[in-house]
Amino acid sequence: MLALTWRPQLAPIDPPARSSFDAALIRRGEQLAGVGNCAACHTTRDGGPYAGGVALATPFGTVHGTNLTPDPDTGIGRWSEAAFRRAMRDGVARSGSRLYPVFPFDHYARASDDDLQALYAFLMTREPVRAEAPANRLMFPLGFRPLLAGWSLLYLDRAPPPHDTRMSAEWNRGAYLTASLGHCSSCHSPRTALGGEDRRRRFDGGEAEGWYVPALNAKSPSPLPWSVEQLTDYLSSGIARDHAIAGGPMQGVVAGLARAAPADVRAIAVYIGSVMGDPTPQRDERAKASVARAERGPLVANASTVTSGDRSPLGLGAAVYAGACASCHDLGRRLSSGGALQLPLAVAVHDPDPRSLIRIVLRGIEPLDGEPGRLMPAFGAQLTDEQVTALLTFLRQTAAGAPPWPDLAAAVRSAREDESR
Amino acid sequence: MITLNINGRAAAVDADPTTPLLYVLRDDLKLNGAKFGCGLGQCGACTVMVGGQAVMSCLMPIGLVEQRAVKTVEGLGTPTAPGPLQQAFIDEQAAQCGYCIAGMIMRAQALLERNPHPSDAEIRRHMAPNLCRCGTHLRILRAVRRAADRSGVAIAAESRTSAP
Repeated sequence: MLALTWRPQLAPIDPPARSSFDAALIRRGEQLAGVGNCAACHTTRDGGPYAGGVALATPFGTVHGTNLTPDPDTGIGRWSEAAFRRAMRDGVARSGSRLYPVFPFDHYARASDDDLQALYAFLMTREPVRAEAPANRLMFPLGFRPLLAGWSLLYLDRAPPPHDTRMSAEWNRGAYLTASLGHCSSCHSPRTALGGEDRRRRFDGGEAEGWYVPALNAKSPSPLPWSVEQLTDYLSSGIARDHAIAGGPMQGVVAGLARAAPADVRAIAVYIGSVMGDPTPQRDERAKASVARAERGPLVANASTVTSGDRSPLGLGAAVYAGACASCHDLGRRLSSGGALQLPLAVAVHDPDPRSLIRIVLRGIEPLDGEPGRLMPAFGAQLTDEQVTALLTFLRQTAAGAPPWPDLAAAVRSAREDESR
Repeated sequence: MITLNINGRAAAVDADPTTPLLYVLRDDLKLNGAKFGCGLGQCGACTVMVGGQAVMSCLMPIGLVEQRAVKTVEGLGTPTAPGPLQQAFIDEQAAQCGYCIAGMIMRAQALLERNPHPSDAEIRRHMAPNLCRCGTHLRILRAVRRAADRSGVAIAAESRTSAP
């Protein structure tokens, strides 16, 4: 077994000079690094770009993003293009050691030679930063990396992304980017007990960093269908008027896609739009009902009639909504310049799982450092757990018209503990 | 009537439960330390403490405060006997126009009550939601550092004894 899975060290090189890479190739690599959102795992708030060190909590322990700058000792300065290609395709470092699959090489394996060449040119021309990644902390026996070869045998699929000659070139480009560098289904699909992506349930929805990640296929929780234009806007700016404002882990994805080639972002939108499919008559009904709820007027008809005396979840929830939410989300939405989402249309209220909405209420939506975006203030300090639970009970019924989320109070408590860590 | 617990005293207020705490503090109770900046929870000038946490009072309807203790900058000291954090802001001359300072002090107070020995990075991260348009952030950070070094433990201890 070890003989089958053993991989040799590849010869070190002297870090190539910047001038040895073509400027247009570097530029294309930069755009592709945006599609792949490499920075999410390889750039910390206080470290240099791509210098690694991001702690990634997995169900199996904590792994740290590595240093991708061309520093010869702590980065990839001594990696040849062949070594880089092997890492991206096989999940094996230049030294021959296995990389943990939180690095989505199961997707990157499908990237074209040209795209990997461009990414290599981009990374090898970054400012070298000397930064050793902190030690990983994994549950026994996963600290022994050769075991990871077994994971690769199970989950690494080298088949090229499907090319469908009946579809447009744009659709095919989108299908390729989504399946390879974009690795969208990594978060938007459920995972198996071994942490692999469950391919039979691709795009059925998943989770990331305590957020629910919505389904992107026919199971999409969005009450209104997404147009290609809305998806394109959302992917490149994080804002889709009638659907959502990007929050949590999706903010980094948007920051990356804002740097990608606009044609590539649109191609991804075209492909994802087709995965969602044309609305069924049943979904059309849901859309109509949501629009009707949004047009009916404020969720709480007259805020001043709401007293703080009603302790039922719906009564308390209405009071929380009227006092804390309505001034931006309702009542003419005057304070937020009309930019706040109408909650009957907001995807998070319709999610099958409350985790994303809980996080949005507790921490708000704060644009990443230096990135444009809409700001919703955090309400974690304003509201008690009981008030958050009541608010979500109220919104689920009144804004979404959907059955209550099970175990909501426990989900609020657990998100609160995680946020205060 | 809604009864609030403000700086250790009960205050009965006759106002709609959806009224922001900030309006009640300033208009009804004449506690004018907290300022109205944006009214949108985006600037922090209105920051006070509720239940030990820094809260933007423009977003805090009084009907939801319930039994939680409210602490405002007036609760930390007086012009003749400023509290440790207020004194540190004076020593560092951290105010220029001063509009943001009451909010800055209350956000810092919430940090020091919980964590009397914050690192510089923790101070920066904690203070991030509050804006100063004059740009005296560096002096504000120095003032918080000074208060932590000199009186952090005292501030944390006092908050434990004075908690309701």
